[in-house]
Amino acid sequence: MKNGSRPAVAVEGLTKRFGPLEVLKGITLEAHDGEVLAILGSSGSGKSTLLRCINMLEVPDGGTVAIAGEPILLKEKRGGGREPADGAQLDRLRQKLGMVFQSFNLWSHLTVLENVTEAPVHVQKRPKAEATEEALVLLDKVGLSDKRNHYPSQISGGQAQRAAIARALAMRPQLMLFDEPTSSLDPELVGDVLRVIRTLAEEGRTMMLVTHEMAFAREVASRVIFLHQGRVEEEGPPAQVFGAPKSERCRQFISSQLRS
Amino acid sequence: MDLDFLWTTFVRLIGGVPLTLQLAFSSIVLGLALAVLLAVMMRSWFTPLAWAADGFVFVFRGTPLLVQVFLIYYGLGQFRPVLDDMGIWWFFRSPYYCALLALTLNTAAYGAEIVRGGLQSVPHGQIEAARAFGMSGFTLYRRIVAPIALRQALPAYGNEIILMIKATSLCSTITLMEVTGLAHRIISETFRSFEVFFVAGAIYLAINFAMSRLIGLAEARIAPDLDQASRPAEVH
Ligand SMILES: Nc1ncnc2c1ncn2[C@@H]1O[C@H](COP(=O)(O)OP(=O)(O)O)[C@@H](O)[C@H]1O
Ligand SMILES: [Mg+2]
Repeated sequence: MKNGSRPAVAVEGLTKRFGPLEVLKGITLEAHDGEVLAILGSSGSGKSTLLRCINMLEVPDGGTVAIAGEPILLKEKRGGGREPADGAQLDRLRQKLGMVFQSFNLWSHLTVLENVTEAPVHVQKRPKAEATEEALVLLDKVGLSDKRNHYPSQISGGQAQRAAIARALAMRPQLMLFDEPTSSLDPELVGDVLRVIRTLAEEGRTMMLVTHEMAFAREVASRVIFLHQGRVEEEGPPAQVFGAPKSERCRQFISSQLRS
Repeated sequence: MDLDFLWTTFVRLIGGVPLTLQLAFSSIVLGLALAVLLAVMMRSWFTPLAWAADGFVFVFRGTPLLVQVFLIYYGLGQFRPVLDDMGIWWFFRSPYYCALLALTLNTAAYGAEIVRGGLQSVPHGQIEAARAFGMSGFTLYRRIVAPIALRQALPAYGNEIILMIKATSLCSTITLMEVTGLAHRIISETFRSFEVFFVAGAIYLAINFAMSRLIGLAEARIAPDLDQASRPAEVH
């Protein structure tokens, strides 16, 4: 059941358009247990849309997404497009996906600790005491024990993103999805967040990580995917993608990123 | 200064406070329920519902509360036979119910706008985060959308509560003996309008001062991070 037979996520033939704009043009990829997939690509290449299609925050027009072997059921919508066919199934599968957003999206009416226990208690129906105990361990892990009773408006961006990571981990997800987790942070706050993500990688967690931190991607990723104009332009182990890319566009992108 | 007269006036006017508070709080509670319904209608994908809610708000915000009170109490009296037939004349013959109805509809119209603004202010990203963790439907509303909207709307809604307490004084025009109604009666007996209205005003001020403190406490409790230095809602 481990590697091979049932990938944590399997995406096949994914297409997505926004009006006339075709953002994803048939993406196929898999992430197996324990893999860290880094997703690179210039701005507007469809990286966020890809992650958002995996948990159906955007519903793809074509193709399938399967979480731990179970395809997310979609149906045709009247007047074009598709929509989730089974809300309960989607809610259940989404619990296996820990999403970390570029803009944190912590719930502003809850303290850091409450943010972490909210979904375990009110979605997964776990006992509050147990969820709190686990949340405190997670907050300690991301270095936020002393901020547990602060509200999101009272902490820095770097702290907020680490809280958001703890919130996602509290779901005990099979797959973590990171959408440029450090892109809206001041440079001096990036390091703390990357350190947490590196720890997760070392623990063998399955992750998909959209990032512009090239050095970091090279270091933690087990596989790198380069998206260009809605397609997988290059895919391979970091040494190959960074060291000897087959695609000219990928080579240009990487050298431009390393220069800046 | 005739302190004795002020004191006896005060004691008599206090007798009207229960009615004033009853009118205010009944209409605020009923009006809030209606306001939530209207705000949901405004956001409905079924446009006739949205139009109906918009029309309601347009009418009740655009006309004076006093005219609404008169229209319901005096105006509908013209249709007594019809209302009798419908078996609801007992309601419209009562100045208390008519006043309560006018106050409720009026505050519902303002409240609907406040609730709608609160719902609109909920950041989309926070709703997406909840969805991404498998939260949906009523739980999403109860746990995320409603509390965030409430935080946003509470200061404006606090103002509306204060306005409603003051608006109850209009009910004196259809014979209700709340604080202002009693003041009129005392003046007709004593002709000392300055002292009587002065005391009446002081009573409203005291009620609203206490109310704005309560609202401030509620704000501090619901949104402890939005520190406004425990700023109480302003009294207009
Ligand atoms: N909800 C949306 N509506 C319309 N266009 C969108 C929407 N989301 C993304 N796009 C467009 O799709 C393209 C890809 O966006 P995105 O996936 O966010 O790219 P990336 O994350 O790689 O920068 C961009 O041109 C963007 O403007
Ligand atoms: Mg993006």
